[in-house]
Amino acid sequence: MKETFTPTKLALIGMICCLLFVSALFAGCTQSTTTSLATATPTAAPVTPAPTPVVVATTAAPTTVATTATPKPSFTPSENNIVVYTAASLTGASNTIGSSFNKAYPSTTVSFDLDGTQALKTQIENGAYADNFISASNSYTNTLNNEGYFVAGSVQPLATNYIIVILPPANTANIQSLADLAKPGVKIAMEQKAVPAGTASLAVIANLANDTLSQSWANATMSNVVTYETSEPAVAAKVALGEVDAGFVYQSTATAAPSGTYTTLTIPQKDNYLQTYTIAVLKGSKNQAAAAEFEQFMLSSAGQQILAQYGFSAP
Amino acid sequence: MIPDRFRLRNYRQKVTYLAAGILIAAVTLYLALPIVALFLRMTPGLFFATLNNPDVVSALWLSLFTTCITLTIVVLVGTPFAYFHSRYSYPGKMIVDTLIDLPLVLPPAVAGVALLVLWGRVGILGMYLNMYGITIAFTTLAVIMAQIFVASPFYLRQAKSLFEQLDPAYEQTARTLGASSLRILTRVTVPMTAGGLISGAVMTFGRALGEFGATIMFAGNLPGVTQTMPLAVYVGMEGTNINVGLTISILLVIISFGIMIAVRLIQRQEAKHA
Repeated sequence: MKETFTPTKLALIGMICCLLFVSALFAGCTQSTTTSLATATPTAAPVTPAPTPVVVATTAAPTTVATTATPKPSFTPSENNIVVYTAASLTGASNTIGSSFNKAYPSTTVSFDLDGTQALKTQIENGAYADNFISASNSYTNTLNNEGYFVAGSVQPLATNYIIVILPPANTANIQSLADLAKPGVKIAMEQKAVPAGTASLAVIANLANDTLSQSWANATMSNVVTYETSEPAVAAKVALGEVDAGFVYQSTATAAPSGTYTTLTIPQKDNYLQTYTIAVLKGSKNQAAAAEFEQFMLSSAGQQILAQYGFSAP
Repeated sequence: MIPDRFRLRNYRQKVTYLAAGILIAAVTLYLALPIVALFLRMTPGLFFATLNNPDVVSALWLSLFTTCITLTIVVLVGTPFAYFHSRYSYPGKMIVDTLIDLPLVLPPAVAGVALLVLWGRVGILGMYLNMYGITIAFTTLAVIMAQIFVASPFYLRQAKSLFEQLDPAYEQTARTLGASSLRILTRVTVPMTAGGLISGAVMTFGRALGEFGATIMFAGNLPGVTQTMPLAVYVGMEGTNINVGLTISILLVIISFGIMIAVRLIQRQEAKHA
């Protein structure tokens, strides 16, 4: 008896394993976007103590009046939820945007996938699912537009931003002006050059070198860079921690931060780099109506007000 | 009766073989296909052309340099540590045992944050070092420290269990012949467990080479100084230069294969001796 049973058992186990494996494969395929979201959304939460994080609606949303009877997991690209691939510099504003939009359009919730625009672009090009794309870089938006990822006519300018230098309040390196960034021993954090804020910072340094400061200042400043971070908030974090003496970030970051978080060095507008944020609806969106509503909301005075509150300028 | 039973068994056996075959093929393909895809995405010409890219070259040398130092430190400190740890009992030994395993389950990004808040310029210890003008965060030293933190458990665990399993009779014999502890360690214990120790060291090397999360948190990302190969892959794939990302990925696959083959050869050698 034993002999006849063992192979059957084996076969059973094998088939169950196969089934599990195949189902896991399918699950892995369909949920690849959701897992990235699940990890991305919590990062948004601790940055600003926003009222109630209604962005991920199913977890806890007692404030919303019109909660549907069947609580679907909001982070899957279902009909009630839109996935917005969002430039990381909007991390602070994203909670407020999500909850305000949900108030205006109670049937739709928003999930933000926040990362450097360059990373989001690569993800979209490799098949990531998103309904909207908020880009901090005109050139990446244009590339994706030329590659045919966006609904025709949906690409709109959303906001603008300038580069600013932030210093930790202690300012142990005693940096008083932009010229001081070139002092030996100063530690500077910057975004890597593919990050839109990094591109802009490099342009600003080049402009300053050609204008008020010198090429040797630019060289010394660049050699003081100790890290090229992969997103704009990562630079702000290194400054806030006090681990570096200065960081190149967006003006919005300095404006939105609680007072006392940073000291700032402004860069003259003539030498600065105007970064234009754009918003678009993706062709692959299964919920283009809701995505278009979200874009309208962002371009409306309500959306613009939130952006202004977080330090972004109008386009 | 008999042919019936025979047929049934035969049928069952066929199902077993079929299921086993599908299972083995599925697992193998699942693991192998991504690697194959990586090679298919690159042409050999482009691969060799990109090898000369300064970012690739500096990341390769930095990675090899830091992992070699990491390995040397882990082996030199870890071997006597594991020896004493396995030979003596002391208060809190259980806690030490747990701590050795901790980096294996701790997410590397958390390890990086922890290192930063301890050794960073405003960190608990780092602030005192900073008074003497010593900075660790965002230097090559930080890369090595992150690698040691994350990768040393592979060697420590291996060495510990090898020393524990070694028949104490050999060491006792050496001791009765008047050998000192150090001499016993270097002449008896280590040679008798060398194969296992080397495979542990190779695993540590591999883990250190692949270190990403703790490095980017604690050491930052500066080409030539702290941008190791995995960081260069990440930055490359973010759009700076996708060919750089792919080329380094392929290099890392080749190195990883080399590591696995080395471990296999050592284990086979070991089996022959046993």
